[in-house]
Amino acid sequence: MSSPDKVARRTEKLARVAKAFGPGKVIPAARTVEFLELILSPGDRLVHEGDNQKQGDFLAEKLAQMDPKKVHGLKLALSCIGLPEHLDLFENGIAEVVDFAYAGPQGGRLAELVGNGTVKIGAVHTYVELIARYFAELRPDVACLVAVDADAEGNLYTGSNTEETPALAEAAAFGGGIVVVQANTLTDNLRRIDIPGEWVDFVIESPKPFHLEPLFTKDPALIDETRILMAMMTMKAIYQKYLPKVLNHGVGFNTAAIELLLPTYGEELGLKGKACTHWALNPHPTMIPAIESGFVEAIACIGGEVGMEDYVASKPDIFPLGHDGSLRSNRFYGQMAGHYADMFVGATLQIDPFGNSSTVTADRLAGFGGAPNFGAENRSRRHLSEAYLRAGAEAHQGEFMPQGRKLVVQMVETFQSANTPTFVERLEAWEAMKTAGFAIPPVMIYGDDVSHVVTEEGVANLLLCRTIEEREQAVRGVAGFTPVGLKRDRTMVANLRDRGIIQRAEDLGIRKSDVSRDRLAARSIHDLVRWSGGLYNPPSRFRNW
Amino acid sequence: MKQTPRISFYEASARQRVAGLLDPGSFREILPPTEKRTSPHLGLFDAPVSFDDGVVIGEGTLEGKPVAIFAQEGKFRGGSLGEVHAAKITGLILRAAARKPQAVLGLLDSGGVRLEEANAGEIGSTEIMRAIFEARRVGVPVIGLLGGSCGCFGGASIIAGCCDALVASEEARLSVSGPEVIETVMGVEAFDSRDRALVWRTTGGKNRFLFGKVATLVDDHIPAFRTAASALVRPSTPLRLDSLRTERDALVRRIATFGTCTDAKQIWEKMGLPADRVSDMTAAELTAAKPA
Repeated sequence: MSSPDKVARRTEKLARVAKAFGPGKVIPAARTVEFLELILSPGDRLVHEGDNQKQGDFLAEKLAQMDPKKVHGLKLALSCIGLPEHLDLFENGIAEVVDFAYAGPQGGRLAELVGNGTVKIGAVHTYVELIARYFAELRPDVACLVAVDADAEGNLYTGSNTEETPALAEAAAFGGGIVVVQANTLTDNLRRIDIPGEWVDFVIESPKPFHLEPLFTKDPALIDETRILMAMMTMKAIYQKYLPKVLNHGVGFNTAAIELLLPTYGEELGLKGKACTHWALNPHPTMIPAIESGFVEAIACIGGEVGMEDYVASKPDIFPLGHDGSLRSNRFYGQMAGHYADMFVGATLQIDPFGNSSTVTADRLAGFGGAPNFGAENRSRRHLSEAYLRAGAEAHQGEFMPQGRKLVVQMVETFQSANTPTFVERLEAWEAMKTAGFAIPPVMIYGDDVSHVVTEEGVANLLLCRTIEEREQAVRGVAGFTPVGLKRDRTMVANLRDRGIIQRAEDLGIRKSDVSRDRLAARSIHDLVRWSGGLYNPPSRFRNW
Repeated sequence: MKQTPRISFYEASARQRVAGLLDPGSFREILPPTEKRTSPHLGLFDAPVSFDDGVVIGEGTLEGKPVAIFAQEGKFRGGSLGEVHAAKITGLILRAAARKPQAVLGLLDSGGVRLEEANAGEIGSTEIMRAIFEARRVGVPVIGLLGGSCGCFGGASIIAGCCDALVASEEARLSVSGPEVIETVMGVEAFDSRDRALVWRTTGGKNRFLFGKVATLVDDHIPAFRTAASALVRPSTPLRLDSLRTERDALVRRIATFGTCTDAKQIWEKMGLPADRVSDMTAAELTAAKPA
């Protein structure tokens, strides 16, 4: 809650900084802690930039070194709890409550600290939900942001991973907050201005470039034949049937398999030019063969991807490039593009018999990230497309008011690993609700948003289910040898299969003996480099040459 | 850039590699899985066995030339050398020494001796080495082919060192000690086994080719292995004192020239190669660029 004297407090803080540091926006890195203690007051709402890719690691380290006697009771808000320092702020007594969207690698420790009362959670959000709230009741007092280059006026170049920087800067700059930026380099010659200096109060040159995680790089060598079978069934039963033109893929190997099958199996199915032309997606390296084969017209980028810079720069018609020739991504707009897309395809850790899914387990609070926005039926959509109408005709058959329908596809193997079934009678989110003190279970995608569930056992089309019992049996009917699958009603499942609601590989004319890694357009990271004409430059850890 | 699919040696099973290398229909397997010659040791550890103990042996023709061939299956216990596994290879090579086909092809894909069969496996490895020298003594060349997913480490690497010539892809790795072993002994600062680019530029096919350990560098494509192996079929030059002396002198010169280098890239630079580009060159490009 912003207090009425917010602007007065901002003026007072700026005066304190001017007294200690003199005029100008540039703060020396060596005095960062002292500086932060001047601009943060007890109880302030601090937005720290860091997501699933880029990390404001230098400022996080310095924030954790502040004196809790001077700064305490902070309300932390951030897209991703990605660094140990974010949680150190709570153990050091500097912060007391956190609003976030995703916890990724810190999910285990977060669950522990929430369990023992060290961390209080305001709410777990989706990305755009959290960003939207920065403009409403979560207005930041201080925003600590990240840039590649900055000049002395505070103008910023954010590089390929602009992501949410503009939204966070705007929320703070126009909400009486203070904007502080860690930049890799201070320079007089910015190649492009992503954020105008007027929005930025202070810049600090960090001693080390910020960490950037290559989250969207999936090694084709790790795609096995089960995933290829699932990808082929999904392409035949869904892509070929509905012909979605605008789509979003999740970050996992299942969708990477589809991307690598587009130039081969996708071509056989006649998808080229008819489907998969426009995407809301990070620059996935596994998209290179589809791009080179002429499947893709444009990609709206939510973020960038390490190593893809030169390749992306060579495709100005497909990727959003600045006049300087480098990628400009935007999480908020990318999420919106995915929200209004024809189809989302993703994966999850657990699904219950009604199709509800969650990545939260008893000992991990992973958060939601962007999936709930991408993977939700969009009741605010009004423009029409072939896929939207075809799906709507199935979902709303026989109803008075005709409507369209977004396709939301969950692609999962029936088991995550031996003895860890994906299909469970009751999500562990119910347990997490109790431990974290939530009023309702943290569900990632609700069952009634899901249109299709795909496993190695087949495809279940939930749009065609007419009762909740049918929906349940459709899910059980593809849940394999999990306890959920074993409890299927065999007569009902046979009936659903007769009606085409459940389709097995053989119903789709896919012979399991035809499923082979030879179908992948690229079978290794090195193959992707070859497809890119040598422009893709993968990080060292993905190389085997 | 549109790519034409390759028939990957790296991904193929031992049987697929043999089928892809030899003339169609020419392969006759010796002690096939139907004979069920399984490991007598793995049962003690409740570990699964394989009916061929992880190695395929037999005879066939390579572009019309009669050859003996063995192929280790990296997907069974890391292609490890167990007692039966090693005995099958030894038997095949000794049979070749007696029957004199034009070559023995050895498809090595192995982390080394099988831990559960330590002593038997170690003895088995040395028996293979003796058999190779026996084959070479009577003029039958032994050609090693490297490019499988397990690499060629430990005892298998020494077997590779005993061959007349090696064919390798850049995906191949050849080293006595594996990356994890070096990291454990020397520390992560000395060798970070998770830095895949470092592992490959140190132990990989390209570096071994530039050092002269590998005779022919090929792309990861089974027909390329076939052509390269066939071109290397010629009567073996048996090891004699003078050839060993020449080899030792070359090693002394190598230490004198490159002994202070701490990274393969420095070695490539000293060789006059564009060090930053080597990793991205195709087999043909690097072969053309390699200094004489």
